[in-house]
Amino acid sequence: MGRGGYFERYLRVDLGRPSAEHVPLDEATRRAVVGGVGLGALLLTRETPPCFDPLGPEAALVLAFGPLVGTPLTTSAKLAFVAKSPLTGRISDGLSSSSFAIAGKRAGLDAIVIVGEAAEPSIVLVDEEGAEVVPCPELWGRDFTISEASERLRKAYPSHRFAVIGVAGERLVRYAGIANEGRHAGRGGLGAVLGAKRVKAIGVRGSRPVPLADAEATLRIAKDLARRSLGPATEKYRSLGTVANLSTFNRLAALPTRNFQASTFEEARKIEGEVLHETRERGRGSCKSCTIGCEHFFEVRPGERPVKMEYENLFALGPLCGIGDPEVVLRASSACDELGIDTISAGGTIAFAMECAERGLFPKGMLAEEARDLGFGAGERMLVLLEDIARRRTALGDLLAEGSRRAAEIVGGEAPSFAPHVKGLEIPGYEPRALQTMALGFAVGTRGADHNRSGAYEADFSGKVNRFEASEESAAHAVAAEDRAAVMDALILCKFLRRAMEDFFGESAEMLQAVTGLPFEAEELARAAGRITLVRRLFNEREGWTPAEDTLPARFFEEKLPGGAAKGAGIDREGFARSIKAYHARRGLDERGFVPAEVAREMASLLRGKNR
Amino acid sequence: MVTIELYGVARLRAGREAIEVAARSLGEALSALGTACPALEPLIVAGGRLAPGWLVALNGAQITANLETPLGDEDVVVLVSADAGG
Ligand code: SF4
Repeated sequence: MGRGGYFERYLRVDLGRPSAEHVPLDEATRRAVVGGVGLGALLLTRETPPCFDPLGPEAALVLAFGPLVGTPLTTSAKLAFVAKSPLTGRISDGLSSSSFAIAGKRAGLDAIVIVGEAAEPSIVLVDEEGAEVVPCPELWGRDFTISEASERLRKAYPSHRFAVIGVAGERLVRYAGIANEGRHAGRGGLGAVLGAKRVKAIGVRGSRPVPLADAEATLRIAKDLARRSLGPATEKYRSLGTVANLSTFNRLAALPTRNFQASTFEEARKIEGEVLHETRERGRGSCKSCTIGCEHFFEVRPGERPVKMEYENLFALGPLCGIGDPEVVLRASSACDELGIDTISAGGTIAFAMECAERGLFPKGMLAEEARDLGFGAGERMLVLLEDIARRRTALGDLLAEGSRRAAEIVGGEAPSFAPHVKGLEIPGYEPRALQTMALGFAVGTRGADHNRSGAYEADFSGKVNRFEASEESAAHAVAAEDRAAVMDALILCKFLRRAMEDFFGESAEMLQAVTGLPFEAEELARAAGRITLVRRLFNEREGWTPAEDTLPARFFEEKLPGGAAKGAGIDREGFARSIKAYHARRGLDERGFVPAEVAREMASLLRGKNR
Repeated sequence: MVTIELYGVARLRAGREAIEVAARSLGEALSALGTACPALEPLIVAGGRLAPGWLVALNGAQITANLETPLGDEDVVVLVSADAGG
């Protein structure tokens, strides 16, 4: 068997000099962290000094590919963007699917690391030879939508594929995302990291086929996986998409509503996935190289371009803000995508502001004046506010561009107790009091409150735990869910495939063996999953993490849910603390949640690398 | 009568949002559901059992797959896909 899956090198682009060099990636590194988010976290650690400013020239943005991208495996056309988040000050990674991922890999690269700061607004063009930094005055500061900017780039550089930031990234909105071909690495403000480097877009071009160690076995596995990807395990995604969650969550009283003041929404019916499907669905789509196709497009108004909608956008810009008008929610989602801002953080921060406004907490002056007509359900006001946030225009827009945690610190008083975030990252659409194993997953997440890096909600929905209580058993589920996600995101394959895989670690190892020729085993992959979490934790510790960050906002401990099937549910502070301790123990951390010194010592050479 | 509520794929397949059945246990309710809505067999309910990946939330609260769960006249069985979320 030959070798495959990796090109055994990454490209390091220094915008300041500017220069680009290929850096070798040894086998031990590749086996230790596989690729994707694991490789990204490792390279981020290696390429940055301690306690750096995420928006400063020392910051690195890592684009990490997995060993499977460019192979015939379904849903493998993905990459991870990894950086220190300007929103949280902790590690953040965002996955995205597109032909950008394939072209980047086929430039003969396992990752691209961008450091430094361009002298003027620029784009970075990467190919098999290296990289070029090209000034782009015609694109920067022009207030283009993501679609407009992408279209201009496509025309100017037809053989490149682009990842682009919007106006929000240019204006350093702390939850600006990076878009490529309609997909978004949305969370944690990675778009602002690029914006601070004065990089509008990264273009990649490559034609090197990704080597397959055992092409026959890879094809056999790919065919089998594609067949299973069309079975009952993914029917929800194909027939309705993730918007299907909304009605179920509302019925189970797990639908965050009015900034987490309630968990059922009286107008849910108007925006539930089943109703949108029946009344507005106008087509389906999929990421590149995906057989599932979970994208569903909905009509805003006749004659207008249909809008892609997912549950997280729907919940955050709908019930979380008290908005039940489907047209407003669709418009808001589309606006976020075109401005380049994360929908969950945008919805969470605006919902927080709506509550502040209703409680009269904004300090007198401009903020109070601008927030006068801001209240739950104020759909048109939300649409204007999204534009203000993305451009940091108006005092309120500028404040909310900082995210809910910073905004709460400025508003003061009781505001921090109900700012809806963990570590600064706004909470996704899973009510913690109604899904308490998920609540634990949120609290301990290295990226903050996150449903993609911890699928602990699966335990809440499984009947194996009491969903109204975080227990020591929850800790076992939280670790297992994190581990599965870490491997999925390192390979990288779409999580919507997970139920189509019966023996997750075993099948993943088999795939890796076929593609890479390396003798990956299920147990080794399980260990790699834990290692990836430890790499992230060590990065966070280096950047100032303290155990006090692994918690939830006070609201979830102090206020009970007011109605629905979860009426009266709250989180017991002491019980929750015990479940966190149980998580630490299972994760191999010390009592307070730090990586033990001897483990950190063992990992030191991996973290340092040989090349710097 | 026990009410069974359907969401997502189950609702699409059955073409209805809810159904009332006479049942004293969850197993009986699922049998009746399969008979009344054959489109749910066998991928969602299968011969009075839940197909893999499906559960119920009794009155929307606790989630279970225990077919012995006793049901009373006022009870509502919410059929939930284990892939709720994601
Ligand atoms: S299932 Fe959806 S998110 Fe996953 S790869 Fe396919 S289209 Fe993309």
